[in-house]
Amino acid sequence: MKILVQRLDYAYDGFRLDIDSLGFAGGRVTSIVGPNGAGKSTFLKCAASVLPLDRGCLFVDERDLAALGGRERARLIGYVPQEPAFSFNYEVRDYVVMGRAAFLSVFSSPSPHDVRMAEEALHYVGLEGCSRRPFLELSSGERRLVLIARALAQEPEILLLDEPTSFLDPRHEVRIMRLCRRLAGEMGKTLIVTLHSLEMAAKYSDAIVFMKAGRVVAFGPPGEILTEGLLRDVYDLEMRIVDCAGQKFFVK
Amino acid sequence: MMIGSPSRKTGWLAAAAFVLPVVLLLVSLNIGSYHIPLKSVWTTVVGALSSGRAGAGSPEADILFRIRLPRLLLALFAGAALAVSGASLQALFKNPLVFEFSLGISYGAAFGAALSLVFLGRGFPPQLAAFAFAVLAVVLVLLIAGKSASQIVTILLAGIIVSALFQAFLSFVEFFANPYALQSLIFWLMGSLAQAVWKDLALTLPLIALGVIVLVLLRWRMNVLSLGDEEARTLGVNVKWEKILVIAVATLTTAAATSVTGVINWMGLIVPHLVRMMVGADNRKVIPLSAAFGASLLLVADDIARSAAPFEIPIGILTSAVGVPFFIVLLKKSGRVWQ
Repeated sequence: MKILVQRLDYAYDGFRLDIDSLGFAGGRVTSIVGPNGAGKSTFLKCAASVLPLDRGCLFVDERDLAALGGRERARLIGYVPQEPAFSFNYEVRDYVVMGRAAFLSVFSSPSPHDVRMAEEALHYVGLEGCSRRPFLELSSGERRLVLIARALAQEPEILLLDEPTSFLDPRHEVRIMRLCRRLAGEMGKTLIVTLHSLEMAAKYSDAIVFMKAGRVVAFGPPGEILTEGLLRDVYDLEMRIVDCAGQKFFVK
Repeated sequence: MMIGSPSRKTGWLAAAAFVLPVVLLLVSLNIGSYHIPLKSVWTTVVGALSSGRAGAGSPEADILFRIRLPRLLLALFAGAALAVSGASLQALFKNPLVFEFSLGISYGAAFGAALSLVFLGRGFPPQLAAFAFAVLAVVLVLLIAGKSASQIVTILLAGIIVSALFQAFLSFVEFFANPYALQSLIFWLMGSLAQAVWKDLALTLPLIALGVIVLVLLRWRMNVLSLGDEEARTLGVNVKWEKILVIAVATLTTAAATSVTGVINWMGLIVPHLVRMMVGADNRKVIPLSAAFGASLLLVADDIARSAAPFEIPIGILTSAVGVPFFIVLLKKSGRVWQ
């Protein structure tokens, strides 16, 4: 599904997100990178309707996102927050099945079909053995995967992932990025991922959006737009791009 | 009903939870200052069930059906009401130490009911004023707590402030009450099921039943709401309205119980925690089991209240004697268990 952003303007506490025009191709992984405070997460939260969104700013296949009801939107867009907000120690399966909320009425509980969807989502992210474990017993890498599974149980066409690899060890980092690729490649999902690791963004995305101070600075396939000049402009830091074994590395 | 819990342990627990109140009800019919032999209780109950009429005129039947049964039913219903409301509010506020008292519901409802009893008389149903002031108390607590309502300390403080306010209002009502009304008012404020008569229960029991049923139906939604506003919204939940629904129903249920029983604290805290210790955090199990165990626990507490001493012990004192140490332990532990 194609996502189109038009004149998105969102301001709070002296910060202003101002995106004139931006398009995301369907069935692709697009990374959003940029320094802290560039507005990456704010953009994602606007798209996920965590933050209020005006009409006429965000379109999914020509449908105005702000005009959709909560249920309809949730079936279209899944959001994976950076850190899980939790208070009670639910079992992993119970946690994932909450992704089915958009398909259930207020007074009903998940059916065996919904539980099966949750199990399948857990299987897809490779956590089938963790189904009955308490959520808080999992490592932080596994918790991120559970959050992704919950978003998958929601069956959305579009997945927004807010820094899914921050604070993770290299193995889990790669595991999550490969999962993102599979979601786009096998299932045809449209993924928008905010990242700090330029290596990950260059290796695993079809397109990269560079943001700075609430604006889009550059947008395009990693092979075309990644230049040392752009990195200097965006991060105010001299970096060298080194090609090694078909992969880009960024030397600071 | 309990999808996601095929384990045998939960199955047995669920069965026990719903048999227990019935067994306790039959046992409790034997307890009281007027001794009725077990056999006589049995024949009277069976007789009433088979003839379809309660109270064939014998003194046994009179005591069992006019005095003991309404009281026992009130204990069961009020226990379920308080425990289920507590469990629901805890899920909603992501805060295991929230319950009727800490949201000001208890004293809001008590003030409303007292106001109604003193100025409108016993003929006017006190449930109405109890509910109105309970809602007012919750609104005040939420306004004072503001955006940090999910933080334990903030909401406890706001609850203390509002409860203190309504306790002060209560004293004001007591000041204007005549001596006879005052006496029953004070006894009632300490919590008592002694004044249970069918006339009061005719409104209260259906209200409680309705509230508990709605909260039980909402049980899975409470899991989703307990993730917090942001995540629940991205999952497609209409957070604002569903939260208002849960709070309103929990308040109504508690107010309906409190308007007849007076202030019985701590039930909404103790029962859901015991249930969570047994079956985990999933509200699909916690809410129905809280209803069952809350009913049983308050019935046992009332049995103790009316049989342990030559005089009747106010039941609110009993539940506080258990609840206060329980709360202290939870408060000390909560930093480790829930964060």
